[in-house]
Amino acid sequence: MFKYIVKRLLLSVIILIGVSFIIYALVRMMPMNYIETKYSSQLLQGTVTWEDVNRFMDLYGLNDSVIVGYFKWFGKLVSGDLGESFKYERPVAEVIGDYMWISFAIALIATILQFLIAIPLGISSATHQYSVRDYTVTVLTMIGLSFPTYFFAAIVIRVFSLQLGWLPSGGLIDPGVDYAADFAGQMAKFGDMAYHLILPILVSVVLSVGGLMRYTRTNTLEVLNADYIRTARAKGLSERTVIYKHAFRNTLIPLATLLAGIIPGLFGGMMITEEVFAIDGIGRLAYRALREGDIPFVMGYNMFLAVLTVIGTLFSDIMYAVVDPRVKLAK
Amino acid sequence: MKEKKASNYISIRESRKIIKYNIKQMKYYEKLKRRKLTEAEYTSPMRDENNIVEIDGLKTCFFTDNGTVMSVNGVSFDIPQNKIIGVVGESGCGKSVTSLSIMQLVQAPQGQVVEGEIRFNSDAAGRDAEGRKLGFNIAKMPTKEMYKIRGKDITMIFQEPMTSLNPVFTIGYQLDEVTLLHDKSMKKEDAKAYSIELLRKVGISMPEHVYKSYPHELSGGMRQRVMIAMAISGHPKLLIADEPTTALDVTIQAQILELLRDLQRSEGCSIMLITHDLGVIAEMADEVVVMYAGKVIEHGTAEEIFFHPKHPYTIGLQKSKPLLSSDANKPLYSIPGQVPNPINLPDACYFKNRCAHCMDKCREKYPDTVKVSDTHSVACYLYSEANGQNNDETAKEIDNG
Repeated sequence: MFKYIVKRLLLSVIILIGVSFIIYALVRMMPMNYIETKYSSQLLQGTVTWEDVNRFMDLYGLNDSVIVGYFKWFGKLVSGDLGESFKYERPVAEVIGDYMWISFAIALIATILQFLIAIPLGISSATHQYSVRDYTVTVLTMIGLSFPTYFFAAIVIRVFSLQLGWLPSGGLIDPGVDYAADFAGQMAKFGDMAYHLILPILVSVVLSVGGLMRYTRTNTLEVLNADYIRTARAKGLSERTVIYKHAFRNTLIPLATLLAGIIPGLFGGMMITEEVFAIDGIGRLAYRALREGDIPFVMGYNMFLAVLTVIGTLFSDIMYAVVDPRVKLAK
Repeated sequence: MKEKKASNYISIRESRKIIKYNIKQMKYYEKLKRRKLTEAEYTSPMRDENNIVEIDGLKTCFFTDNGTVMSVNGVSFDIPQNKIIGVVGESGCGKSVTSLSIMQLVQAPQGQVVEGEIRFNSDAAGRDAEGRKLGFNIAKMPTKEMYKIRGKDITMIFQEPMTSLNPVFTIGYQLDEVTLLHDKSMKKEDAKAYSIELLRKVGISMPEHVYKSYPHELSGGMRQRVMIAMAISGHPKLLIADEPTTALDVTIQAQILELLRDLQRSEGCSIMLITHDLGVIAEMADEVVVMYAGKVIEHGTAEEIFFHPKHPYTIGLQKSKPLLSSDANKPLYSIPGQVPNPINLPDACYFKNRCAHCMDKCREKYPDTVKVSDTHSVACYLYSEANGQNNDETAKEIDNG
């Protein structure tokens, strides 16, 4: 097991190097670059000349070829430096570290809720296949699944913040209030944050429950038709034990695959949701950086995601061996 | 060929009608299952105290999209104490569904027991006012009560040992589970000791090792032994073995059958052995029930069925069995034709199209069961009173012809 993990980690270093080159090449191929976007209005007015722009481009390393630029970036990375963000004018690692946690909090709560809702729903619609309950759950979750994020978020904001006025439409804390530094003040601030996060979490849960629920339903149906479920019933176990002990353990096996996607999902932020609700999480920052061609930040963010994805896959492979006794990780 | 196509074709209107009818029927029977019954409503007197299970006019059907399939169509037979009953028949003739009906394990909601009684002779049921022994009627019994019988008094071994054990639990866990479930006084350590003893009883060497293993680490024969261990853990009165050796190779088959017979003797239970292998039946069974298209067509002791078969179908089955003495160059005999489509069977002998002795009568009405001897009965017009007394001669005639 230990050997296997070490081997996988060494392999993933090679994968990450490949990934980083592809991302760098893609980012450099984007039609706009940071300097031109930043000085476009001044260029039109004539306050900045093309010569200045060219000098800036040299300074920012945007005139290097893709290969040269990549190796410069990579050389810095080896010494542990992700570079400095053009847009935020701070080291990339620092920016990611600062804004990651709010995204993580939202994603963690949303993921927990998603599992708590989707798995029981999936199991119950599988055990009541083709019943009214099954169809209702399926239709509702499919509606949630088919909404685009920005559209559903817009509806939710319109209904709950504009028309009903129950919840704030965006931001993380009420800008008009100054919270005291003592414990009570901090608790009030925390409460305000939670209040602001209700809508974004609602949106992300509603949109993601459908997929997981369908997945659970299909797996459970497959497991319920297995011979060993009949054996479990023939033993005299109650239907409850049959489903939640004998069937559920087997339903979990394919669900372990999903874990691979959860880890990057937890830390990576949600670009569209954060942007719509104006929450300064890592997703929103990355979205802005991408729009303006902030190469170091985009690279840093994507590498961060790539590392998380590699760890997630490894984690899900290990979980397979934990959940299913038939799987043995090769040495 | 054309006719066959026409009979299988269902128009959209018919299909809708069938689906509507099915939903109504399924709802009705599911509701029946859920209603609350007092114990008196699902107990009825046994015909004979020495029977473990009496099946009376059992009808189990499946509501499919092509129509209602009568998988078990009025089956009646008794399973006496301490006997091995063999049930033989082709695939799809209702053997397995009969056994699943006894276990209340028919795939619901499509499959439902619609008629008949399955009386299970249990001491818990007591006696009625006239002193007759009462039995639980499994066809009506609420599922909750059934949990107490299932896995303890009536147990079952399945055809596929490879997939019948839960792959994510150890053998020990799965064995302990049955013990702990049916005997509340047992503690975990007792259950473990008992499970190991059971494993030893079914002939597994190194039971301590197997106790800790997962199903995928065992061979098919070993897994079937584990299934048997599970089945005998509650000292059952009836063990249903649904083709227990079909998926195993021949040497293991013999071992498993021997084990089953030894256990039947030492435990004193009855076995309902379902198989399509006449050799297995000949070796094991005391009584034989021959089924065809959801009905019992012949019932008798093993000797009667093997040496004096009556029904043309049984005779055909015997003839299609390869023997050591049979000529290897000659093709093996097979009964012509196929089992009829089980949807909307007409009230006529189901074997009529495959039978060399078919009469006009056979096309009109399903034959009644005729008693040939005290223990031997057959459902065929060849043996009804009008057709003469010398039954054995008729059978011989069929055999030769």
